[in-house]
Amino acid sequence: MITLIQTISKAVALGSIYAILGLSYVLIFKGTQVLNFAAGAISMAGALFMSIMVADAGFPFLPFSNPIAPDPGETAGMGRWLVLLLMALILGGILGLVLERVAIRPMVGQPLFALAVITLGLEIAIQPFNLDAVAISGRSIGVPWGTETWEIGGAIFPKSYLAAVVAAALSFGFVFWFYRSRFGVAMRAVAFDQEAAMAQGINVGRVFAIAWGLGAALATLAAIFFAMAPWPAAGVVSLEIHPVWVFRVLPVIVLGGLDSVVGVIYGGLLIAGFEIFAGQYLARFTGVLGPGYSTIVPYLVMLVVLLVKPYGLFGTAEIRRV
Amino acid sequence: MKLKRLLALLLAFGLVAAACGSSDDAGTDTTDTTAAGTDTTEAGSDTTEAGSDTTEGSGDPADIATDFGVTDDTIRIGLNADLSGPFAALVSEIVESQVVYWEMVNENGGIGGRMIETIILDSGYATDKGIENYNSLADEGDTGVLMISENTGSPITAAIAEDAADDDMLLIPLSWASLWPDEDIGANVLEKQITYCAESMNGVSWLKSKVEADGNDPQLAIISRPGEYGEDGHVGAEIAAELLDIPVVYNGKGEVAGDDRTAVISQLVGSGATMVWTTLTPGELADIFGNAVSQGFEAIWSGNNPSFSYPALLPTDLAPAFSQYYYQSGYSVPWNGDDSEGMQQVVSEMTARRPNAVLSDSYITGWMEGIMVQTILEQAIANGDMTRAGVVAASREVEMDFKGLSPNQSYSGTYDEVVVRESFIYDIDSTKFDLQPLSAGSGSSGLLIEEGPFTSDILADYEFGGPCI
Amino acid sequence: MSFGRPLLRTSYNQDASIFPTVLQKGLAIGFVLFLSAMALDLPVFGDIPRFFLGNTWLDPVGLTLCFAIAALGLNILVGVTGQVSLGHAFFMGTGAYTAVMLGGNVGNEESWKACVPFHDNLGLLDQQGECGLGLPIWIWLPASALVAAMIGVLVSPAAVKVRGLYLAIVTIGLVFIGLHLGRMLPEIAGDFESGRKWPRLDIRLWKGDPVVEMTEDGKWFGFLELSEEQKQFFFLLAMVLLMTWLAKNLVRSRTGRALQAIRDRDVAAEVMGVPEFKYKRIGFAISSAYAGLAGALFASFTGRVSPVDFGLLLSVDFIAILLIGGAGTIAGTLMGTVFVELLPKSVEKGTAWLSGNLDAGGLLGGIANFLLTSGSAGDFGPVSISATAPGWPMSVFQWNFVIYGVLIVVFLIFEPLGLFGIWLKVRNYWKGWPFSY
Repeated sequence: MITLIQTISKAVALGSIYAILGLSYVLIFKGTQVLNFAAGAISMAGALFMSIMVADAGFPFLPFSNPIAPDPGETAGMGRWLVLLLMALILGGILGLVLERVAIRPMVGQPLFALAVITLGLEIAIQPFNLDAVAISGRSIGVPWGTETWEIGGAIFPKSYLAAVVAAALSFGFVFWFYRSRFGVAMRAVAFDQEAAMAQGINVGRVFAIAWGLGAALATLAAIFFAMAPWPAAGVVSLEIHPVWVFRVLPVIVLGGLDSVVGVIYGGLLIAGFEIFAGQYLARFTGVLGPGYSTIVPYLVMLVVLLVKPYGLFGTAEIRRV
Repeated sequence: MKLKRLLALLLAFGLVAAACGSSDDAGTDTTDTTAAGTDTTEAGSDTTEAGSDTTEGSGDPADIATDFGVTDDTIRIGLNADLSGPFAALVSEIVESQVVYWEMVNENGGIGGRMIETIILDSGYATDKGIENYNSLADEGDTGVLMISENTGSPITAAIAEDAADDDMLLIPLSWASLWPDEDIGANVLEKQITYCAESMNGVSWLKSKVEADGNDPQLAIISRPGEYGEDGHVGAEIAAELLDIPVVYNGKGEVAGDDRTAVISQLVGSGATMVWTTLTPGELADIFGNAVSQGFEAIWSGNNPSFSYPALLPTDLAPAFSQYYYQSGYSVPWNGDDSEGMQQVVSEMTARRPNAVLSDSYITGWMEGIMVQTILEQAIANGDMTRAGVVAASREVEMDFKGLSPNQSYSGTYDEVVVRESFIYDIDSTKFDLQPLSAGSGSSGLLIEEGPFTSDILADYEFGGPCI
Repeated sequence: MSFGRPLLRTSYNQDASIFPTVLQKGLAIGFVLFLSAMALDLPVFGDIPRFFLGNTWLDPVGLTLCFAIAALGLNILVGVTGQVSLGHAFFMGTGAYTAVMLGGNVGNEESWKACVPFHDNLGLLDQQGECGLGLPIWIWLPASALVAAMIGVLVSPAAVKVRGLYLAIVTIGLVFIGLHLGRMLPEIAGDFESGRKWPRLDIRLWKGDPVVEMTEDGKWFGFLELSEEQKQFFFLLAMVLLMTWLAKNLVRSRTGRALQAIRDRDVAAEVMGVPEFKYKRIGFAISSAYAGLAGALFASFTGRVSPVDFGLLLSVDFIAILLIGGAGTIAGTLMGTVFVELLPKSVEKGTAWLSGNLDAGGLLGGIANFLLTSGSAGDFGPVSISATAPGWPMSVFQWNFVIYGVLIVVFLIFEPLGLFGIWLKVRNYWKGWPFSY
């Protein structure tokens, strides 16, 4: 029973993180029709910005010391850490804006595939800076609650679980609120039909920028919460996990549908649920399933779902015209 | 049309025929282009004859038989190192210290009057890239090297071991797999220090005594990653458990793979083990160790040396837990850990030449590689044969004296005689962990010798017939 | 007779032929002869690649030839049929492991199942690496293509239904599932990191001595004195020519036209009587067959390959090859392969050459000083040539990845037709020369 509760809570927490990253994909896809394969590099860069500010007490790219950062050897207090988190999100967002301006804007109107491959190119070009120039080994993001846990009736819950759920709730709340705002409406209009939106006087370029800025900030948020204690237990931006885990979120958005914000929540919880439950309850069959089998559970679930529903559970079926 | 086709064919044929005469095979066995037509000599005798700069006389460097990688005033040494892959942080320190070693040697007049020149190539821990690097280092033209003083990783070493034997290329691996002391497998692979398999036997013995001293029942869990490193360490632990009669309550052989370890953690926590032996990477260890500890799992942990890495793990939130539960197994004395002759030398040279470099135990490994190469080359010079084959022969004659850095060893004899049996156990003290620049002369890696160099009873009596895997 | 003008067709036969103009044919033949001459170490020709790639240049060029076959296959799927696949590495792996199961050394019970992973996975001991049926190349090479094609057909039910980006994601999933299979089945794949040994390229009639051997230096057919690398080069070159010819023929066949119709507008194609799912499946099968063949050649040429080598980055390589070369064209695919595969080596070589000119002074020395840093204080170049310093500045190996990624972006933005587009521009300029329009 205790194991079951712990497993459920872990699945919900992981699902929340998947949902945040999935939301980043969906925002960018809805706004600009780009499937962002560079999410891995962008999110890792964002998490490293956080690490540079917290652990090195500096600023990325700038030779100043960071006045908000905790003293060397100390852990930041909650308030300071949240301010630093916000700064990291802004920096991640700026990175997104820059990439959009440099690589995506010139490609407006090109085939979806070409746009997706451009982001693959960005991923390849940025990742060496993350992996080789900045993070030579795993880098701490100085989480205030570290590896602390709550114990309730014998079941143990890392505090990061709750943090992930709160972060996801805030992200989705923000996005829902944003969609009702003026810019949000513009974004939805652009997602529906770029030319028609332009004819209505909507600044499509600005919508692109906002989608990428927000999307990159959300990716950063997901990566930071995925660098907390139970995921890589050391609480670091991991060289092993962070470059590849974003691909496990692709099944999430495929399941939810590339263009469905609500679908991402279901997709994230479903995929994380399958992954964590398979890891926990099929462990005895490791000999048959092969070591590390839970890593590919998301892909298997995705294949099965797509056989039945080719546009995911919540995605809009594409209308095909001759 | 037909005619033109014929013409083209003829032209192609002509080109081919012309090529036969003047073929200058790059990167192949033929070294003497003029003799290509009559190239019927055996490879073995070919290599000694090919060196055209062998002259009569004695006392000057030119007196020694040479073939590739050696000129009258330089000796070229190759390093096939992981400088951008998963072990880049560790390996670049090892390479740096070896480079400092050669700076020191060259300042003191080199080896036999020749300066050492290092060719450093990056494999990124990718097997295909490693093979490509090897091929260029083994080139039998003017870019090849005499021997390879650092070859990172078991997979790449395994991939090139056979070629190295064919090419008479001696290589020092950064791998402690129990394969290399075997003369068939690792004919030219000169492993230093203990093997993973033997290390596990020492470690598990030590864990048992530690657990019993704490008043607990020894119940062993063994966790490893797939691959020869994981298997080798795992098998050693299994052998030890059998010899020591310890029940293995969880046997996770090769189960740590992929980046989701829920399955391993749940089985480990449910096993009730009191001691854990791991053969993992630091990232994997941190994940499993941290999650198990946070779920209330209490046991004494240790594992093969590469499982734990102080620069990667002690700056993290897990440092207190590692201090409490984990003991690091090791091969040599940690940085500035005693005042032996070798330690004084490496500390003073590194501090003088790289004052800004950060304190690291890895420098000792690189230094030892330097000592090995120098010892072998001096023997080769004494033998009057500094060809690749001559260097391989010399390596079997020498006794490595590490001047207190690590147990001495030699490479002649059976597998059982060659295997080193001493290892160390370090206690981890995260409060002492403080990585200072060398010039500061203070600081610590947080590793303190708990025991060692020691040989467990089971390992002392164990007779190796060959590799564990 | 004239050399002919591009795009000027005077008969249907000419429109449907592989080389519509004499000039194109001449160029193609000349290029093949030039390649052969380079491999033969003729005085001038032989020095060109060595200057760019170093003494062991036949290694990277051999790999390029293997990759060219796989790229041709992906071009049929992506360029001709219009289906985006990132799962090409998976099919290459399928072919490679078919090859090793059929052609690998004979195990104790003459079956690949007899290979026990525990002792044999390193392929180092005498009895190790002997986990195959020991069949000759003329069985395992076609079989690797065939099996890959069959697997392609097997997964096609999921693949033909989804379209566009969904398909790209599904095929990424395939790669990860393939990696997991490699980890699960060490009997077949060998050690996950160091892999296992592959059968060599020697051509045998059955299990006896090779008829045409390719693993020793020596005479070929009794008179051709060639090195091992040169032999393999010529064999691979012949394979590339064969597969190019087949691909070219496929595109101008009924099947090829059907595939292109689906690419241009699938619904319209169906209305015209081209069964969409059937032809998509055919496209998948053919592309997978190419990948399987290339995978088998790649693994045999390298000699030792591990499952991790068939990862996502390999798939991305082929997408990049198509985009940089120019998707949909065979000449572009081949140009793209050469460019993408040989660029890193050339950059490394160029950096080494530049670092030799650090003290040259003048413009060259200035450029070298600006770009390179030896790690000493006060030296700010972005490229580190002291390989021992991790972190910033990065070594040339890491910059190679950056250059590669940036090239993909730059080509897509500025030259969507890739190298082939550049060639078209050059050709059109000279076609009208001296009048630029």
